[in-house]
Amino acid sequence: MAATDADLGAPDELSEREREAVEAQLFRLADDEYVQAERYTFWQVRAPTLESDLAVANNAQDELGHARLWYDAIQQLGYSEESLLWESEPDDFQHSTLVELPFSEGDWGDAILRGYLYDVAEEIRLAALAESSYEAIRNRTSRIQGEEDYHVEHAENWLRRMADDEEASRRVQAALDRLYSDALTLFEPVGEVEEDIVELGIRDATLDEMRAEWTERTTAFLTDLGFEVPENAEPASPTGRDNEHTEHWHDLHEEMTSAYRNLGRHEATTLMDDE
Amino acid sequence: MSSEPDGPEEFDRPRADPDAGPCGYTEYETKERTTEEVPATGEGAEGLEREVWAALYEVEDPEMPVSVVDLGLIYGLELDDGNATIDMTLTYSGCPARELILDDVAEAAESVDGVDDAEVRLVWAPDWSLDLVTEQGKEALREFGISVER
Repeated sequence: MAATDADLGAPDELSEREREAVEAQLFRLADDEYVQAERYTFWQVRAPTLESDLAVANNAQDELGHARLWYDAIQQLGYSEESLLWESEPDDFQHSTLVELPFSEGDWGDAILRGYLYDVAEEIRLAALAESSYEAIRNRTSRIQGEEDYHVEHAENWLRRMADDEEASRRVQAALDRLYSDALTLFEPVGEVEEDIVELGIRDATLDEMRAEWTERTTAFLTDLGFEVPENAEPASPTGRDNEHTEHWHDLHEEMTSAYRNLGRHEATTLMDDE
Repeated sequence: MSSEPDGPEEFDRPRADPDAGPCGYTEYETKERTTEEVPATGEGAEGLEREVWAALYEVEDPEMPVSVVDLGLIYGLELDDGNATIDMTLTYSGCPARELILDDVAEAAESVDGVDDAEVRLVWAPDWSLDLVTEQGKEALREFGISVER
């Protein structure tokens, strides 16, 4: 495979192959962040302390902001917000199934553990995008990295506290057993285009490499706290990356798009429309 | 979201390949990049350009009585035959007042005699941080009650 040091150029300068690879990278970035944010909002008024309500609400706002940045980059390629979100079908999306699952009822351990598994993966992915050959990805990455910093810290601090409590530990362990296979789908491919993503320098680590780094890091941290990380686990099926999703996503998607539908909208009107 | 051109029907999202497998390792290098000095504050500007900067100075952040110029959010201003192009960033990607601020900036530029049309381009690099705030901006932040290092 040929190495390349070329900047891919502006959105309208991409070859078909480049465009396909750029899109493949962008869609999972946008969809993962968007759906993660949608789920976080559940906890906004249900977290165990006011401080946690705020922290989770803030995380959700961060992820929504990042989703907006990524969807903006996708719109530069010609897509519209309507087709991307409000007039989409559930199986248009390529986010990992980890972010679409509803939280186990009343289970704060689930929310924290999930956030931890996701945010470590996110950190590793962003690091691999920091020198991307596609400007719109590169430029957004450093901004997002700065805003993601404390997500992992927040989750780690909670996990340390929960590890000291028997009941909380039990819940975290149960969440780990339940969610681990879904977390692995974060590193599943969408197709042959995966090779091009790395070959064209859009991202500088393969899915396998990122998964290895994630496994090493999360296993070391969780094991140290006394949790047992599932061994030889396989990614869940469907993966989400394959456009196939659990029924939970279909429900959430329905809810997410209902206001637009109920209002009979055909476009996402903006706040400051001239007319 | 910004109002990019509406996509025609053919913009369907890309689909996963059902026979997908993870790919092997590839080496590549990225090129060196240089970034221009930011922010732009209009220092030394003359004539029409100076007037546009004066108008931009009047635009304040919706949450703090500090000019967007002093906050270091304006990265560039170009004037070309009555058309103003402004590059700017925001302090936070999840800013809920994004459209409001961008509109305020465009309107401020267009309020200047000699500017017919203003385009505001939202940019995310170089990264914005507190050290891009001007001295005057830091003073305004302190007055507002935000502690900023001297």
